[in-house]
Amino acid sequence: MNDILTVNGLNKLYGDFSLRDVTFSLPEGCITGFIGVNGAGKTTTLRTILGLTTKLSGNIQFFGLDFNKNEKQIKDRIGIVLDDGCFYEELSLSEMKSIISSAYTSWSEQDFKRYMDMFSLDPKQKINTLSKGMRMKYALALALSHNAELLIMDEPTSGLDPLIRSQLLKTLIEYMKNGGKGVFFSTHITSDLDKIADTLIMIDKGRIIFQEEKDTLLDTYRIVKGDSQSLTADVRKLFLDISETGFGFTGITKRISEVRSYIPDVVTERPTIEDIMLGNIGGAK
Amino acid sequence: MMVLSLLKKDFLIVKKYVLIMFFFIILIPPVMRWRTPEFTGILGFILSVIFSVFMLLQYVSLKEYQFPKAATLLCATPFSRKAMVLSKYIFCMAIYVICCIVYEVETLLIPQLGTADIKPFALMFLVTSIFISLYLPVQYKLGYEKAKFAFLVIIMTSPIIVPLLLRMENLKLDFLSTTSPYLISGSTVLLGSVLLAVSAFLSMKIYDKADLA
Repeated sequence: MNDILTVNGLNKLYGDFSLRDVTFSLPEGCITGFIGVNGAGKTTTLRTILGLTTKLSGNIQFFGLDFNKNEKQIKDRIGIVLDDGCFYEELSLSEMKSIISSAYTSWSEQDFKRYMDMFSLDPKQKINTLSKGMRMKYALALALSHNAELLIMDEPTSGLDPLIRSQLLKTLIEYMKNGGKGVFFSTHITSDLDKIADTLIMIDKGRIIFQEEKDTLLDTYRIVKGDSQSLTADVRKLFLDISETGFGFTGITKRISEVRSYIPDVVTERPTIEDIMLGNIGGAK
Repeated sequence: MMVLSLLKKDFLIVKKYVLIMFFFIILIPPVMRWRTPEFTGILGFILSVIFSVFMLLQYVSLKEYQFPKAATLLCATPFSRKAMVLSKYIFCMAIYVICCIVYEVETLLIPQLGTADIKPFALMFLVTSIFISLYLPVQYKLGYEKAKFAFLVIIMTSPIIVPLLLRMENLKLDFLSTTSPYLISGSTVLLGSVLLAVSAFLSMKIYDKADLA
């Protein structure tokens, strides 16, 4: 499988915050979730790989092409949904569309009309009268109407109600079925990724923590519950994070067979993506 | 082509004011002829250019300031940052050209306004060029609010500075009366064009390195 995006050794200073040696790749044909808590570096990473902020060092390749040398050609093949839309709010939907559409070489008016109808959007409506959900749908309609091969979205489901989130996720699945080569979206709402993601990349404090296929990740980690008295110093080392109460402990580990060798009667559960994310940053339940 | 689309964008985001400004551009020369006949003609044209270019550029900058993420989205599309900058310069010069055309038509329809020869057009081209050549790089570097403040200070201090400049005795411009008007106008336009080119280059460099909102 080819990689449609490769990021190598990306470094950036942003006031007190920094991205440090960020390295990951997106395999073709996958929906990849970019997870991390607020302030972990998701938006900064996305903006830096899109050339919206400057980088200190690092190499970025889309579709095997160097971003610095082929920026225009690459951007022509990518659909972008930024946090909160990023529009001139006083324009109508059709006016904003007329600006965006002129940037792309293969803009499809037919596709745009189809998405506008699908999302029940009125082209004459002013952007500042749209709800957050409608704004996100409009941003998605713009991003998907020029035969984009890769869709990059920054926190698209943040602040949306479950119905609109569900519609948005369905649209992404449909986009992949219709020939999209990949979706890369950042989020801190990990339940959305439980439903549709194939691969997960986690970032924390500007460093990549892991990149893994979702199913492999969920098979690797286990939530363990047991008696606190069985937690010896050696056992504690096997956990990413442990919380203890008067009734016992709950911990998350990726070394379940070793834990079982020390405590054979522990209760184990399959974790959610949120459990794994919190476990890796030391805040598991 | 991309620059033209961005030029259209600039007019779109201030469309509410474009029509009002257009009426001002049309009305200023004849109204000046009516109210202050001693300043008939060219002063009306000068005022219409200064007024329309400055006001519309301010409105565009205000809208960009109000919705800074919109420019970020445009830069995430194939629109280049260079084209984004260049469109602002073309926007100002397009307004200047509209003022010239309107004034030319008005002098044909209202002969009392005088004749529109090349000298005032060339002079205003230079004045407009100097203004946007200074203003736009400062705005790209400092942002809308600080740039507005800096130019407000310049405008406030101009009543003191301008008379001082006019009193400069070493400034001998007598040779201009013996020089061909076409040569003077040509040189003026050339100087304005060079200023615009240098300024646009600087603005592009500044905006290219900017971290967008």
